[in-house]
Amino acid sequence: MFQQFELARGVKLYVRPTEQFKTINISFKWKQQLTEEQAAIRAVLANVLQYSNAEYQTNAEFRKRLDDLYGAVLYFDTGKKGNHHIFSLNAETVNDAYLSNEKVVDEVFTLLHTVLFKPKLVDGKFVETIVKREKEQVIERIQSMYDDKTRYAQQRLLENIRPNHAASISANGTVPAVKAVTNEQLVEMHNTLLTKDNLSIYIVGDVNVQEIKEKIERHFPFANRSEELVHEVEVTKTSNEKGFLHEIQDMKQGKLHIAYRTPVTFFSEEFPIMQITNGIFGGFAHSKIFMNVREKESMAYYASSSYSSLYGLIFVLAGIDANLQEKAVKLIDEQLKAMQEGDISDLEINQTKSMLTNQLKEALDSARAQIEIYDQYKEINESFTVENWVAKWSNVTKEQIGQMAQKIEKEFVYFLSGKEGAANE
Amino acid sequence: MNETYFKQLEETLYYEKLPNGLQVYILPKKGFSKTFVTFSTKYGSIDREFIPLGKKDAVVVPDGIAHFLEHKMFEKEEGDVFQQFSEKGASANAFTSFTKTTYLFSSTDHVLENTKTLLDFVQQPYFTEETVEKEKGIIAQEITMYDDQPDWRLYFGAIENMYKEHPVKIDIAGTVESIDKITADHLYECYNTFYHPSNMTVFVVGAVNPQEMMAFIKQDQASKTFEAPQEIQRFFPTEQQNVAFSERSLQMDVQKPKIIYGIKANNTNISGKEMLNYELSMQVAIELLFGRTSTFYQDVYENGLIDESYSADFSMEQGYGFTMIGSDTVNAKELTEKIKQSIIEHGKAWQFTDADLKRVTRKKIGFFLRALNSIEYIANQFTRYSFNDMNLFDVVPALENLTMEQVKQAFESLKDEQTHTVFTIVPFDKNSDG
Repeated sequence: MFQQFELARGVKLYVRPTEQFKTINISFKWKQQLTEEQAAIRAVLANVLQYSNAEYQTNAEFRKRLDDLYGAVLYFDTGKKGNHHIFSLNAETVNDAYLSNEKVVDEVFTLLHTVLFKPKLVDGKFVETIVKREKEQVIERIQSMYDDKTRYAQQRLLENIRPNHAASISANGTVPAVKAVTNEQLVEMHNTLLTKDNLSIYIVGDVNVQEIKEKIERHFPFANRSEELVHEVEVTKTSNEKGFLHEIQDMKQGKLHIAYRTPVTFFSEEFPIMQITNGIFGGFAHSKIFMNVREKESMAYYASSSYSSLYGLIFVLAGIDANLQEKAVKLIDEQLKAMQEGDISDLEINQTKSMLTNQLKEALDSARAQIEIYDQYKEINESFTVENWVAKWSNVTKEQIGQMAQKIEKEFVYFLSGKEGAANE
Repeated sequence: MNETYFKQLEETLYYEKLPNGLQVYILPKKGFSKTFVTFSTKYGSIDREFIPLGKKDAVVVPDGIAHFLEHKMFEKEEGDVFQQFSEKGASANAFTSFTKTTYLFSSTDHVLENTKTLLDFVQQPYFTEETVEKEKGIIAQEITMYDDQPDWRLYFGAIENMYKEHPVKIDIAGTVESIDKITADHLYECYNTFYHPSNMTVFVVGAVNPQEMMAFIKQDQASKTFEAPQEIQRFFPTEQQNVAFSERSLQMDVQKPKIIYGIKANNTNISGKEMLNYELSMQVAIELLFGRTSTFYQDVYENGLIDESYSADFSMEQGYGFTMIGSDTVNAKELTEKIKQSIIEHGKAWQFTDADLKRVTRKKIGFFLRALNSIEYIANQFTRYSFNDMNLFDVVPALENLTMEQVKQAFESLKDEQTHTVFTIVPFDKNSDG
């Protein structure tokens, strides 16, 4: 999918030349072991670099420059993948070909260089007022999760099943961790990004590969650094004995979140089979969970499962009447049991294979999705293509799916609801 | 078949109006894997009072019925339509807005078969009292889900503050009580009136051969019979210019207050080029005053009055429209005051130059070119423009020709404080928690 070049040890460039898009997408991804403390520092650093640099006096001046370049998009972001924290710098710019006599792309590279290599430092430190303000912004971002009941419930589930584990650590860290971030740590982290962290650079668009490679090398002289990190996350086998938690908030709907563990992860041979298994269980509108919980019983508007393959976890989420928690759990249990007993139709298998194939092919229609999918799948196979992955699904049989379902084990039920549901407990 | 080439964008649009009144647009996109097909009716939550097809007198139907109808279209005597789409690897969906209902699928294979499924399921209603009753539980959960979302409540709170009579103030899905009144007869009445092909548009975008697709749709429509088209008569109450409430708030379980500062638009009975120019002028004016490069934004960001949730937009449809400036904030009063002051000061002395205008229009052109990479965006926006007699691809030339005079005039309409309102969601008072 992508042509690749090693620019320095631990610095790889991946280019996908294509005429499909009217813009060029650029993404830098720095990888590091995920810990709460480091995540907090990196989240604050992303904001500080976004809102200040040595070249532009104010953030408004900087943004005006981006607007002049036909609203070029340029933003830092933080995320996680398995046991890694990903610090990213992304840009999207209109391709010069669609503009008359303008050189927007080069200007965007210059701006990327500025935000990365020319931070606003005073006596070797970031401006304290900016650090303070951006720490506050990250804290507010973390706290806003509380207002979104689905996200909140999912986080509470993760904290219960995998405390102090990559699965439950947020890419923004925690409020206390962000509060504890110091100016010195930010400077040190910035230096780590520039000289030590493993880096992948992605470019998608109508570009000349050789030219763009030279441009990157000229603008971003990255030195040798550490090689690829270890990817596999340890899959927890010990079970939490409680297995059920009901929490109350001032709200109307009941949020049911169930966690299942499986030894099958993204790196397992059986991964493609588990993708199909999850698809039949609850991944789509034809799936067992949707058909039974929503269509047959009218208990929910949304009811689905998702496979978090890097952590060996499957989640079922449903929004239900607060009094129907037990009934819903029983119904969902029955769907998994049916699959484990081989109650899987050819229709379900065909539908799921078609939908997974379509999903993956469709993703190619977005430059950003091309980057994200390749960034993940290249960990298994650097010559990943959609076609060779789709081929892995085609021969999966009913027996294999049944066996896979037997490797799914319910671990924890988390239920968040209003006071009304509690009264009936 | 009509063919229009948009030189600057390098896009060709194909169009035909079929004998039964259905409008079909096809936009092939090179290099894309999927095809996106939407089938939309100009019928949304605001269409609650109308004369049913073949009747003389107007009726008022229960709130939330357009959305309820959208849900029920997916269920047929032989089962759920999602099953058929899944078999052919198509992701299907539908959504209902204030003014339209859209059914759609996207797929990378079996596109004609999936198109047939789409056309058939939308054109073959099947409602029984039993299936209608069954759906009430599902939609009640959908309504409850939205009830728990502070940002949704904030948005509707602001609209309810602005509009006294117009049905835009009614939640698209209705209420648990209003949907309980819906019967199969209601659904047929609404269906027959608003799902006539003459009130509908098909839009196809992506990996598609335009000649083949047009011929396929034409043949399908020719094989079906419809009643003669009739002009749909819809009724809307007269809405005053002033807001219904200048200030209200709601307590919810949130971390910090959320506000929307709303300004009711005064010039919404327009369409076509006039609407395009008006909405672009308004959007540019909002961007100049409240965008991320404005002195206002810099001030409130640096003083910690807004956070990453901040937004400032203008949106409209025929009959209603509003500017909304919103954010989570630690100090709703101060933020409100600063918004007000910004409008007053620019009213006294307009500070923007032609360079500012050029920069903002460039930003918007860039946004538009980026958006054209997304066939979802094109599919969702195109029909909205078309229902308002506008063309999505006229946006770039219209932006290039926008004058400061137009922008200033749009700004003038923001000045009347009788059209301003503030809606706030505040955390529960911790002391009264018991």
